[in-house]
Amino acid sequence: MEPVLVATSLHKRYKGTTAVNGVSLTLGPGERTALLGPNGAGKTTTLLMLLGAVEPDEGSVDILGHRLPRGRSQAMSGVGFAAGYLPLPDRLRVREVLTTFGHLYGLADPGRAVEAGLDSFGIGHLADRMGSQLSSGQRTLVGIVKAVLHKPRLLVLDEPTASLDPEIAHRVREGLQRRCDEDGTTVLVTSHDMDEVERLCTRVVFLAGGRIVADGSPAEVAATAGTGDLTGYFLHLAAERDRLAALDRDAPVAGR
Amino acid sequence: MTTLDAAASEGVSRPVLLTGRRASWLRILAISRRHAYVLWRSPHRFFDIAFWPVVDVLLWGSLGVFVSTQTADADRAGATYLLAGIVLFHVLFQSHISVATGFLEETWSRNVLNLMVTPLRELEYAAGVALFGLVKLVMAMGVVTGTAVVGYSFDPGALGWGVIPIAAVLLATGWAVSLFVIGMVLRFGQSAEIMAWAIIFLMLSLSGAFYPIEALPGLLQPLGAALPTTYAFEAMRAILDGEPMPWGVLGIAAAMTVVMAIAGVAFAAHMLRVFRRGGYVTRFS
Repeated sequence: MEPVLVATSLHKRYKGTTAVNGVSLTLGPGERTALLGPNGAGKTTTLLMLLGAVEPDEGSVDILGHRLPRGRSQAMSGVGFAAGYLPLPDRLRVREVLTTFGHLYGLADPGRAVEAGLDSFGIGHLADRMGSQLSSGQRTLVGIVKAVLHKPRLLVLDEPTASLDPEIAHRVREGLQRRCDEDGTTVLVTSHDMDEVERLCTRVVFLAGGRIVADGSPAEVAATAGTGDLTGYFLHLAAERDRLAALDRDAPVAGR
Repeated sequence: MTTLDAAASEGVSRPVLLTGRRASWLRILAISRRHAYVLWRSPHRFFDIAFWPVVDVLLWGSLGVFVSTQTADADRAGATYLLAGIVLFHVLFQSHISVATGFLEETWSRNVLNLMVTPLRELEYAAGVALFGLVKLVMAMGVVTGTAVVGYSFDPGALGWGVIPIAAVLLATGWAVSLFVIGMVLRFGQSAEIMAWAIIFLMLSLSGAFYPIEALPGLLQPLGAALPTTYAFEAMRAILDGEPMPWGVLGIAAAMTVVMAIAGVAFAAHMLRVFRRGGYVTRFS
């Protein structure tokens, strides 16, 4: 089956700092993958390059057979994106936000999709609330409904449950799992919650220093790393990042 | 043309998504509607449409009346110049400010990334904001003209049909200028938003909306002569003086507007590439 996403040898540098260094990633239909790593590993930059919001210095991205940036519009009609840190547009009711994005995705009459989406996450009662009246958890849920309105082939989630209370986070995971099972959606998610990753994903990709350092099922990665579990490996990578940063700081400057 | 997303083979029922021109129109109208909601629920946004236009008409209309009563051959021609100038300046101002603040609204509500990860194309976005800008323009022109008529017996027919091509040039120039502002905001972030107001008021003074550019300090006159708006306002004054429509002057204005529009599109497109290469989207998310 044709892959949903193919990223080849992505590189990105910002003002002399390498953020992403040769990341290649292929996601097949229905695959659920977590992109993990400590802060500064290059997760967000990679995600933004995969979505066409940031242009790579080198490398290419194809989504559903469309090469970015030329085929961005066609590719994005098959992609949904939600991030825990993104607000809803100001001065719109929830139903208006969702209808607007439904139209942007190409749904001529998104009314039914909006109702079904809100109901599937148990937030139908929020439809007529203003976005500014929602709690951060409710906003996140609406953001995820926005991302799945058009039943995308690829769903990209950046820290979807960050700063949510455990009950809402559980509801997000359950809703996502149900929708993705029903729709056969390919999922790419970043998260710092390793329990969540193990429950939601069948594959984990660890980044460190802008490179992929591990790729496999959660059990395989934990076993190969010899750290017992994903959290152990995550902590190991964070410690390694700090050690390298300290070495860099203490290194003698040539010519001094 | 509509198409069913390629999902049948997966045994998954996916919704029908519009493609092609119908999808483009749907997206353009969605952006217009989104900005209509914002205007309706933001009373302070009505200042651009109602408050400042009234203030401008009162200021320039009263000044014109006062000055004309101080001259020996007192008549109201001076007031008519100023009123026609401010009415037509608002065509430029409203077409510019509605597109520029439309984009700024996305940065203020941190909605840029949300839009970038949809099928929305840049031109569709600009068209959607400009389309709603036309609605705001009609509302503002009603306020400006109504105030001038009621307050100063301004004759809106004084310019005759000539007002249409002049207004068209000013409308297109306003859109072109807004592309420069959007480009600067993409590159420099919200610190550049002041340019939305600064540029347009600089143009008001340099393009002689109320006076021939010969009245400007000598150093600034070449700048005025390089603006299409200068020739549009010159055409306006010629008509008010009872001369026939100066098509040559208006042709210069139209040609310069085309050049400015091409430059605006190129500048905004370049800045969008810089925006994507520099990863500046994180500033707005």
